[in-house]
Amino acid sequence: MKSSNDATLTATFRPWMKVLGRRRRRLWLGGLLILLTVAAAIGLLALSGWFITATAVTGLMLAAGIQATLDIYRPGAGIRFFAVGRSVVRYVERVYNHETVLRLLADLRAGMFTVMTRLDERVVGQLRASEWLNRLTADIDALDSLYLRLLAPPLVALLAIAGIGILLGLFVPGIGVAVAIPLLGLWLWLVVGQARLGLAASRRRIATLDRLRMRSIEQMQGLAELRCYGTLATHRRALADEERALYEDQRRLGRYQALGNALVGMGVTLSAVLALWLGARAFGAGEISGPVMVMMPLAVLAMSEALAMLPSGFTHFGSTLAAAERLNGIASLRGAIREPQAPEALPEGALSLEMVDVSLDYSGTGLPSEVRSVTPALERVSFSVHAGERVALLGESGAGKSSVAKLATRLIEPEQGQVLIGGNNVRQVALGELRSRIGYLTQHAELFHDTLAANLRLGDAQADDARLWDVLSIVDLAAWARELPQGLDTWVGESGRQLSGGQARRVALARVLLCDPDLVILDEPFSGLDATTAAYIASRLDDCLAGRTVIYLAHDEAGLPSVDRALRLREGRLT
Amino acid sequence: MEESDLTPRGWLRHQATRVRVLLAQVVALGVVVGCLTIVQMGLLAWIVSRLTIEGIPADELIWPFMGLALVVVLRALAQWGQESAGNEAGVRVRSRLRAELLDHLAALGPQRLSDQHSAGLGGQVVEQVEALDGYFSRFLPQLRLAVVLPLIILCVVLWLDWLAALFLLLAAPLIPLFMALVGMGAERLNREQFLAVTRLAGHFLDRVRGVTTLQLFNRTERSVDEVFTAADDYRQRSMRTLRIAFLSSAVLEFFASVAIAVVAIYIGFGLLGYISFGPADELTLFSGLFVLLLAPEFFQPLRTLSQHYHDRAAALGAADALVKLLKRPAPAEPVPAEVSETEGQASGSRVDLENVVVSYPERGRVLGPLDLVIEPGECLAVTGPSGTGKSTLLHLLGGFVTPAEGSYEVSPAAPIAWMDQRPWLVKGSLADNLRLAAPDADEARLYDAVRQAGLGALIDTLPDGLDTSLGERGLGLSGGQAQRLALARVFLSQAPLVLLDEPTASLDVDTEAQIIGSLRRLIDAGRTLIVATHHPALIDMADRVLTLSEGRVIDSQRRGRNEIEQ
Repeated sequence: MKSSNDATLTATFRPWMKVLGRRRRRLWLGGLLILLTVAAAIGLLALSGWFITATAVTGLMLAAGIQATLDIYRPGAGIRFFAVGRSVVRYVERVYNHETVLRLLADLRAGMFTVMTRLDERVVGQLRASEWLNRLTADIDALDSLYLRLLAPPLVALLAIAGIGILLGLFVPGIGVAVAIPLLGLWLWLVVGQARLGLAASRRRIATLDRLRMRSIEQMQGLAELRCYGTLATHRRALADEERALYEDQRRLGRYQALGNALVGMGVTLSAVLALWLGARAFGAGEISGPVMVMMPLAVLAMSEALAMLPSGFTHFGSTLAAAERLNGIASLRGAIREPQAPEALPEGALSLEMVDVSLDYSGTGLPSEVRSVTPALERVSFSVHAGERVALLGESGAGKSSVAKLATRLIEPEQGQVLIGGNNVRQVALGELRSRIGYLTQHAELFHDTLAANLRLGDAQADDARLWDVLSIVDLAAWARELPQGLDTWVGESGRQLSGGQARRVALARVLLCDPDLVILDEPFSGLDATTAAYIASRLDDCLAGRTVIYLAHDEAGLPSVDRALRLREGRLT
Repeated sequence: MEESDLTPRGWLRHQATRVRVLLAQVVALGVVVGCLTIVQMGLLAWIVSRLTIEGIPADELIWPFMGLALVVVLRALAQWGQESAGNEAGVRVRSRLRAELLDHLAALGPQRLSDQHSAGLGGQVVEQVEALDGYFSRFLPQLRLAVVLPLIILCVVLWLDWLAALFLLLAAPLIPLFMALVGMGAERLNREQFLAVTRLAGHFLDRVRGVTTLQLFNRTERSVDEVFTAADDYRQRSMRTLRIAFLSSAVLEFFASVAIAVVAIYIGFGLLGYISFGPADELTLFSGLFVLLLAPEFFQPLRTLSQHYHDRAAALGAADALVKLLKRPAPAEPVPAEVSETEGQASGSRVDLENVVVSYPERGRVLGPLDLVIEPGECLAVTGPSGTGKSTLLHLLGGFVTPAEGSYEVSPAAPIAWMDQRPWLVKGSLADNLRLAAPDADEARLYDAVRQAGLGALIDTLPDGLDTSLGERGLGLSGGQAQRLALARVFLSQAPLVLLDEPTASLDVDTEAQIIGSLRRLIDAGRTLIVATHHPALIDMADRVLTLSEGRVIDSQRRGRNEIEQ
């Protein structure tokens, strides 16, 4: 039963209710506007019904020669007031509430991205980029239903039912109660029943859409392999399975929602018939007048306005629930990198690096064990690189070289031991200072979907064009870039795809040089380059790296510029 | 239907003809619902009139009450059927379209799509196709109903009181007029909205992928601001679209309300006997109340239509983008057939290039003119500075680019083994990743391929072996391991032509030697290998070395294979 899940439901939505709470005033005002729209609709129908019947009765009396008067101006004005008021209030309400919700969503997106940027790199890697994208877009979008479909409408509907009960009860208490009871039953079904009916399918639907999107992106990214290997059709079949599941659930949800909508129409009209029946009996007993008797069912008919929002919202309750659960999952990820309370300043000039008994076994990340076993780990590694020294850190791929660099830049945090930069524990140095003093060319250096210049300026936002050409010439790309029709403004494409692999790599290297670091860590700086280009770049690098500490990460010394000494890592240990 | 003169509207119309029967069903059921509504209102008015005017006690009207309840139930049933059928139409259109779109994208191939963000394309396949739903399931049927139902109601009102009908008739044409005016702006805004959504997704994906880079360059705070700005920009665009949509329904509602109020007051005055011309003095409570109850129903189909108007705008916005994509000419040659486990292996492919030139819009001529014959079983190394067309040559042979001039032929046109500079890995287990090259391969073959690629030692240390799961882009594997996993696919496939782009980048000497040993086994099996590389050890493996400079061959050296083995 739903009640048994109430505790978990509340827990799931609690963080989001808190977020909503920040815009409490806007939300209450929005709810009030919805209530006004419903009240205007009820008023319009009820008053019209009363008015027509009253005029008919009066007309008959007049025709029969009986003296009778009817104030036609005030009800007429009332009808116009409700009619125009309803249109205006509804417009204002919709604009106002959508604005509120979109503001909430923008807050949420930025908040979620902030959480992500502070996570340990190993934890971030747990989700595919496309999954992170979905958290930021689709999941957060799904939360807009929380207020607009799941909170405000049922509350307003409940108030409207109470209002109708009281309105009818003012004339005949029994009728008010008798009509409110079936309407309450209907409300209960639309909220609880529809939610339970659609829960599984709507929950699944979001996950299926997620997988469908992921598979589609995979197909786009791997089109070369899939087409060449001739396995496109196989991959497509996996996609088709997801699609089938999606359509199946959409059909089911469509039927459920149609059921809810039909029930709204049927339940409300039958309640109106009931009101008419009871009203007619009260009229027969002389308890109420004819016009009031007609007013009652018409007022009830207007309730469909208040209930019409419920089926679509609650049939898809599972989608919102699932989105909230997934987002909660991210918020609860462990392994955030924290800024020090009282940061220490790094010394001026070239920086030393020291590892003291560092172990990296991934137990602090809360990652599942099968991921940990593939990932390289360090075991009690101690070594130091003096300021201004040039050292090669060698080892086969997977030996733990990249981990050393990530520890130095505090992208990851060791389970044991200390990492010292310039004699300071990295945990005690402000992240901004630490990273601005260290230049690290990662193995998969990402270029952004932007211009060549913008990608370079990540290294130094203030750099002028001359500086950019400078670093481009160091990596031997200046001549190439000058040939480009759009020069520095050439768009590099997703992940630098418009460039060749070697060119993208060199742009990333140029970007690192641009930030003028005091400790430079270059991971395979020449991979993918021909020997001539590599040698040329190595000689230019020599000059511009003078006076800095340099650590090269490579699998062997061949092709590296001259170094003072070489360290070797094997399976996470220094040899 | 001619693909070249596709307009979004025409294209949507064409899609609708494919679910004609279902759409007709929806309209028919909608008419049934409308007629039952009229009956329901008539019964209501009649009962009220009998009760108040004729003073008949409620108990004597038990049967009309039961009849009314029956009509209400029937109407609910018809309504359920109408909505369900509309839903089905939407599902069918989308399922067909999505399949066509994916086929088309596959036919276009990676090089032609390289200017598009894969997340944007993924979004088109998922979100934009989903966005078509409402147009077919709700808007199109409602468009017919918005004409038919008001007409039926008008006839009934005309029969009851022609002057009231005249009031309704006068108000009606104003409504579509206003909606058209408002709708025109909405359409353009909706297109912009779609662009904004695609841009937002691309923006996020870029930032998410490069989050490490952003951290290293201290750009996280700024990128959070950028994400907020992008989201806020999206809000402003959405609000512009929504405001128009809401305004159109508000205008409609306003006119409907005014018309209803006029009718109500006319009936009231008529019943009081204040109006002496026309049919007003014949008004009774029954006809008056009936007309009053029908007046909102007269406008209801139009109101519903305006609620679904954004469905149309959303569909047009999506159709615009989809048609643009579908219009991109895909090459006529079919995508290579699926791997058949029985064939292949026999011998290598022969490659024949004649005066081939390849150029890209942004970069001009990147390859050629080039004449080249590669014999079956030959191993060709392509070398030269980066950016001189080595990858382009491989793209050409892979069939992803069409030469601007000249012709080329790969025979037999069998599957090709491919490995990129960036290893493509999918989320899933190691085995899932391997089976991308050979879906039916058994465990033993997978292990064999993994060992040949030099990953055997690693896999043996994994408790779950090949069932170990990976993060995106092989996170959890180092760069070299990821590359070797992609290489394992080459060994797994039976393709007679093997295209390798820097297969040993970022591998250490021992591993490289191991892999070269394995590649030699491929050559010995008679397969044709084309390797773009700078690595001397790989170049040494080749029968012939082609040196490219600015897209042209500047040197071609033939080597005896035996010479190297000595």
